[in-house]
Amino acid sequence: MAATRAIYLDHQATTPVDPRVLQHMLPYFTQTFGNPASRQHAFGWPADEAVEQARQQVAQLIGARAKEIVFTSGATEANTLALRGAMAARRDRGAHVVTVATEHKAVLDVCAALERDGCTVTRLPVARDGRVDVAQFTAALRPDTVLASVMTANNEIGVLQPLAALAQACRVRGVWLHSDAVQAAGHVPVDVEAMGVDLASFSAHKMYGPKGVGALYVRRAPKVVVEPQLLGGGQERGLRAGTLNVPGIVGFGAAAALARAEMPVEAVRVASLRDRLLAGLHGALDGVTVNGSTTHRLPHNLHVSFAGIDSEALMTCLADELAVSSGSACASGSRELSHVMTALGHTAGDRWGAVRFGLGRGTTGEEIDRAVDCMAGHVTRLRVMSPATVGATA
Amino acid sequence: MTGAIYSEAVRARCREPRRAGAWPAGADRVGTGSVGSLDAGTWTRLQVHVDAAGRIDDTRFKVFGCSAAIASASYVADALIGTPPSAAPLLAARDVAEALQLPEDKRHVAALATEAAQAAVADWQRRLGAENGAPPQAAASGGTR
Repeated sequence: MAATRAIYLDHQATTPVDPRVLQHMLPYFTQTFGNPASRQHAFGWPADEAVEQARQQVAQLIGARAKEIVFTSGATEANTLALRGAMAARRDRGAHVVTVATEHKAVLDVCAALERDGCTVTRLPVARDGRVDVAQFTAALRPDTVLASVMTANNEIGVLQPLAALAQACRVRGVWLHSDAVQAAGHVPVDVEAMGVDLASFSAHKMYGPKGVGALYVRRAPKVVVEPQLLGGGQERGLRAGTLNVPGIVGFGAAAALARAEMPVEAVRVASLRDRLLAGLHGALDGVTVNGSTTHRLPHNLHVSFAGIDSEALMTCLADELAVSSGSACASGSRELSHVMTALGHTAGDRWGAVRFGLGRGTTGEEIDRAVDCMAGHVTRLRVMSPATVGATA
Repeated sequence: MTGAIYSEAVRARCREPRRAGAWPAGADRVGTGSVGSLDAGTWTRLQVHVDAAGRIDDTRFKVFGCSAAIASASYVADALIGTPPSAAPLLAARDVAEALQLPEDKRHVAALATEAAQAAVADWQRRLGAENGAPPQAAASGGTR
C-alpha cells in the first residue's frame, strides 16, 4: 500500500467512486437484487426501473435520448461495439475507416483487427498541439468510408478534438462518426447533438462511478445501426446481450447526474488548480514543457515533459508520495514510448520525460503545492544523476 | 510488493542510488565506461577507481534511463568494490537481474551496467598501459558482453 498521505493525481487512469454514488448502488447488491429481465415478477421490476432511470441520467449528461444509450462493461467494449458493429452493419457501403494516430488503444487495436479482416484504415497524424487537421480529415473521407473514429479528449495529453467540424464533414458524406468520449464526459460539456457524433463511448469509472460499466451512444435520428458483438439474451434492445450489471449501472447513472450538476463549478476549480500546478513547476524547475494544446484541453489534465530525465524512473522515485502517470496507464507496464508522444513529433530526448497529472474532485491546493515540491526534488536529483550532467556530483 | 512493477531492491536504489556521481574526466586511477545514449533512451556511465594494490576501491555511476537501469548500475557499482579489475568481466547481467528481481521485460537492462563496468576497466587498463609506455589499446566505449 502507498503511504496514507500519498497524493493521487492520476484521475485519468481512474477515479474513486464518489461516496454519494456508492450509497445509490448499495441496495442493488443485496436488497433490490432482481434481474431487470425478470419482468414476470416483482423482483425484476424495481431493478428494471433503476436501470431505466440510470439510462435517463446518462442520456441527460450527453444530450441524448434514453433509448440511444446501450450499457456495456466499459468503454473498451463500447469502442469495439461501435467500430466492429458499424463496419459489419454497413458492408454494402464499403470497408474503409478513418481514425487518428493518437486514439486510445481500445480504438487503434480494433482498427488493426478490422484491417486483418480486410478493411482499410487511414490513421491521420496530428499537429504539434495534438489536434487533427479538419481539412486533412475531410480529404481522407472516401465514398467507401463507413466510419470515422476520433476521440473527444485524449487520455494522455487531454487535448480536445474539433468534433463538430469533423462531424459536419462526415454528415454531408454519409460517413458515421464515432467518438471515444471517456475522458471528456462528466468533466466538460459533451452534447452529442452539438458535436454531431453518431456513436460515442463512455465509462463510469472516469467520472466517479464504478469500474466495469460503460455505455455506447447510438444515434436514432438519422438512424445509426451497429451489429451486436455479444449474443445471447437480447438485452439492450438486442445490441448487447448479457445480464445487466444493475449496481454498476445505477452507480453510472448517479455519477452522471452528479457530474452534470457539479461540472460548471468543478471544471473551473480544477482548471485553477491545474494552472497552479504548472506555475509551480515552472517556478521550481527549468526545462518543463507542456505537451499538446494549452487552450483545447481538459480542465483537469496537465501533461508535461521534464527535459533530461526518464519519467519511468521518476515514477519509481515518486511511488510512495505521488501517483501520476508516465504515459497511458495501460502502457506503463512496458518500455514502449507513448504512441501519443511519438505522434506529437517529439524527439527522443524530451519524450522520455513526459508525465501526466490528472486532477480530481478531491484534489486540494495544499496537495498541488506538495506535489510541486515532490516533483522538484526528484526531477532535480534525476537530472544530476544523468550522464549528460557529468561534472556535477550527485 | 505485490502489484508493483519493481522489487523493493530496485525501488530502494532508485530512491537512494548508492554510488551515484562522477569523477572528472582524466581523474587519477579512474577508468570510465559509457554504454548507450540519450537518444536510445538509456545511457549508463560507470567509473572505477583502482587503488595502489590493484583493487577497485571506489566506484561512481550516472544513468539516464529507467528504474532498472539505475538500480543495475548502482548494484554493479557496489559489487565491484574490493574486487580486482580482472573480475569485472565475470559480473554477469543475469546475476544482476536476479539479485534485483528485475521483471522479465527489464532483465536485458542489467547488461548495460555490466557492459559499462567492463568498459570502465578496459579504459583503466588502457590508461595504465599508456602511463607505463605500452602501446595504447582501442578506446573502450561499449564493452563486450
